[in-house]
Amino acid sequence: MGILKKHLVVLRDGRTLIGYLRSVDQFANLVLHRTVERIHVGRKYGDIPRGIFVVRGENVVLLGEIDLERETDTPLQKVSIEEILEAQRVQQHEKQEAEKAKSEALKERGLSIPRTDTLDEY
Amino acid sequence: MLGPGSARRRGPWRPRDELASATQELGATSREMFALGEGGGAALRSLDESPIEEDEEALREEDHDIDQFNEDTFGTGAVEDWEEQHEGLDDHAEDPDDLLKENNLAESISKLVIDSDLEDPAIMRAIPSNPPLQAPPRLNASMWDGPMVFGGIGNPFLSHLEENRMLSGSKDSILPKRPALGQDEERDLSDRAPPPRSTSPVIGSPPVRTAPIGTPPKHMSYLASQQPSILCPTPVHVRAPIHQRFSAPFNERMSPTQLLNLANSSLRAHHFQGGVTQMLNPLLLGTAQQTGRMSPSHFARMPGLVGSQLTAMKANLLQSRMGQMMPPVTGFRPYFSPATAGHLQDIRSSQSIFRADTTHLHPQHRRLLNQRLQLQNSRNQHRGLNGSAGDRHSRGSYHEQAKKDPYGNLMTQREKEWVSKIQMMQLQSADPYLDDYYYQNYFERLEKKQAALDLNSEGPKKERTKLITPQVAKLEHTYRPVQFEGSLGKLTVSSVNNPRKMIDAVVTTRTDDDETKEKLVRDKRRQTLFTIERTYSLVLEVQDLEKKFLQVSEAERPAVLEQRKSKIIQMYENLRGKQAHSTERVSDDHFVQIMCIRKGKRLAAKVLHLLSTEQAANVVLATARNLPYLVKKDSQDEVLPCLTEPCSLLVNRLPSSALTELLQQLTGSAQSSQPGSQFPSILQNKFGLTLFYVILSQGERLQSSEAASELMQDNRWTELVFAVTRELLKVPQASLAKPLFVPTNLLALFSHYVDRQTLNVLESKLQLSGKPR
Repeated sequence: MGILKKHLVVLRDGRTLIGYLRSVDQFANLVLHRTVERIHVGRKYGDIPRGIFVVRGENVVLLGEIDLERETDTPLQKVSIEEILEAQRVQQHEKQEAEKAKSEALKERGLSIPRTDTLDEY
Repeated sequence: MLGPGSARRRGPWRPRDELASATQELGATSREMFALGEGGGAALRSLDESPIEEDEEALREEDHDIDQFNEDTFGTGAVEDWEEQHEGLDDHAEDPDDLLKENNLAESISKLVIDSDLEDPAIMRAIPSNPPLQAPPRLNASMWDGPMVFGGIGNPFLSHLEENRMLSGSKDSILPKRPALGQDEERDLSDRAPPPRSTSPVIGSPPVRTAPIGTPPKHMSYLASQQPSILCPTPVHVRAPIHQRFSAPFNERMSPTQLLNLANSSLRAHHFQGGVTQMLNPLLLGTAQQTGRMSPSHFARMPGLVGSQLTAMKANLLQSRMGQMMPPVTGFRPYFSPATAGHLQDIRSSQSIFRADTTHLHPQHRRLLNQRLQLQNSRNQHRGLNGSAGDRHSRGSYHEQAKKDPYGNLMTQREKEWVSKIQMMQLQSADPYLDDYYYQNYFERLEKKQAALDLNSEGPKKERTKLITPQVAKLEHTYRPVQFEGSLGKLTVSSVNNPRKMIDAVVTTRTDDDETKEKLVRDKRRQTLFTIERTYSLVLEVQDLEKKFLQVSEAERPAVLEQRKSKIIQMYENLRGKQAHSTERVSDDHFVQIMCIRKGKRLAAKVLHLLSTEQAANVVLATARNLPYLVKKDSQDEVLPCLTEPCSLLVNRLPSSALTELLQQLTGSAQSSQPGSQFPSILQNKFGLTLFYVILSQGERLQSSEAASELMQDNRWTELVFAVTRELLKVPQASLAKPLFVPTNLLALFSHYVDRQTLNVLESKLQLSGKPR
């Protein structure tokens, strides 16, 4: 945790959090300060300010440091919160439709793939 | 519990103050007290009446007494903790001069007692050397209350003295005092850290600072009785040697109030009682951790105090408070003024943040980190912040940024190291390639790139960095359960590492007598599966050995090679079955069984790459021999084509004799000179056809390469080619499989053997000209 180094955390449920990492412990429980949840849809992303996060270690997939110099050096386009949420909703909807179609097709063929609820959701 | 009779005996212990004090002072025995009690009780009660006859009165009063006793014991007037009241009385007899002696005692006790124990009121009470005091209410009160505590503590004694009955020993008596003591102090409570977490030692928490809580509070009580108002030491007196002040990591988090105190401490010397109170908490929080043991002697020496007793008392207060108020290590310090930031430069320098322990990392990794560090430093330099060389630079920028980032140092360096140490411990492995494949590979590749770049400059001098993630030897952990001598049988001592053995499971092999044929078949299949698995592991081991070979030093390489060789031999044996004599033909059964299984085919493909030419040829021959059968079996899986590549590689290495034999086997014309009846089926199979083509192609190559080719001298080849050509012509085009590839020289081959017309037919049929379909 160096000077004002932002960290990026990906959680098991697919969320991406960016904040200042204030504290860690041996279980990788994290305390993030001034956190922002970043939603990515396609080439766009949007930030939702969230405040302080305390993340239980088992839900962390990865954690990385953000190079502040290069932070703005992305091909991604930042959009407003409303827009990104809408885009996400659309994406989710499409995914669900696809899933449904797939499972129906399989059902027709007499196969069924069990819902993998225990796995990480994304 | 207590009957009326005993209630009687309890009479003397009732908190009738004069009585109690009197008896205490006299150190009276129970009998005496009993006598006194009776007399006294009688006296008290019979104030109205004159004592006529003791006996009569006594008899009458007995009932009275009993009721009264009961009332006192269990009723509304009950006193729950008579001990404390009586203990309080003791102090009156105390000599003020004993205080110093008590200070030493306090010191010694604080040496003995551990943190966690002191939080337990029971243990506090059990400390024998000092007359036990009101430990529980005080400690707990100090935890939750603000500066009121001391006021609160002062009170019980007062109330006791005043017969206030507040001394019920319950915390309730103290807490209500809180709101009464002014609102100012309340404000500063927001500065306080949350209540300390239980300091469970060792596991799961960073090292606990065992700042022993100092003296038992008896000092406090004594002095509290002198000064009922809130007593708090000034910041100066709190602190041990001045220089320690800045060594505390938590100093960075001091509130502005604390620092003001620091600055003005000398002025405050005389203002004990009043407004210092509100400063107390943040101060204590700030200093609690680091200053740890503040022996009373420190305070005694401090100048400008009202009285040594006072200081000592405060010291003790402080100590107990410190023990209680140890904030969690990641305390929350929301308020951070710019002024404070300036102070904090010298402390906990950012250098420690940068120079974390990186020795456990891969050198490349370490280099990268350091590079990044330097980049930042240079970056800061360019920004023109105040600073001198090196780390003070970063501190310079840090200074600025600290203004915006007051939470930057919530974790001390020690904590960070502790966490990273734990995480590095988890990385220790006996086989890094197995456990941390991606890390190893990544840095390997990085290294290779570097090596490629530096090829011109350094050469062999450049260190061949070995991957540093510590490679621990695989330790055998055979836990031997504890055995007791002289005990009958084995005692079950079960622990987490050695759970109790509940079942004694013994493997018994079944006898073969009753096994049916199906079972045999099943077992055989199982055997085959096992063989396949074992051979696969051998393949993986060989792959690892090959990697290791590249890593290992020159000296060790032959050993690695040997290992590899032996493994390959084993593989071959697994595949083909053991040979009793080298000349004896091994039955193909074993091999065919393996080849019937999908995984077996893939395994064969892998193994073929590793085998020597002769062995490989053997394998391919066996394949070819049994190809019709295998083709039939493979119809669903269609895995045979995976063999194409290794087979073709092999075939291209084959000498002519072997080649001829191979073709012979393939066509099934080993016994007869004519292709077997199965041959067309091979042509219908992708793999079969491809193999066939490959063989022919190789033959052609051999033929064309040498003038007097061996191949041509052998009649068999010619005959075979003729035969296959005939077959090819016979086979309808539709049924021909689509080969994986068509060698280009087939046309040339056929041209040797057939006339022009046939050649054209063949060409069109087999699409040998290479025109796209």
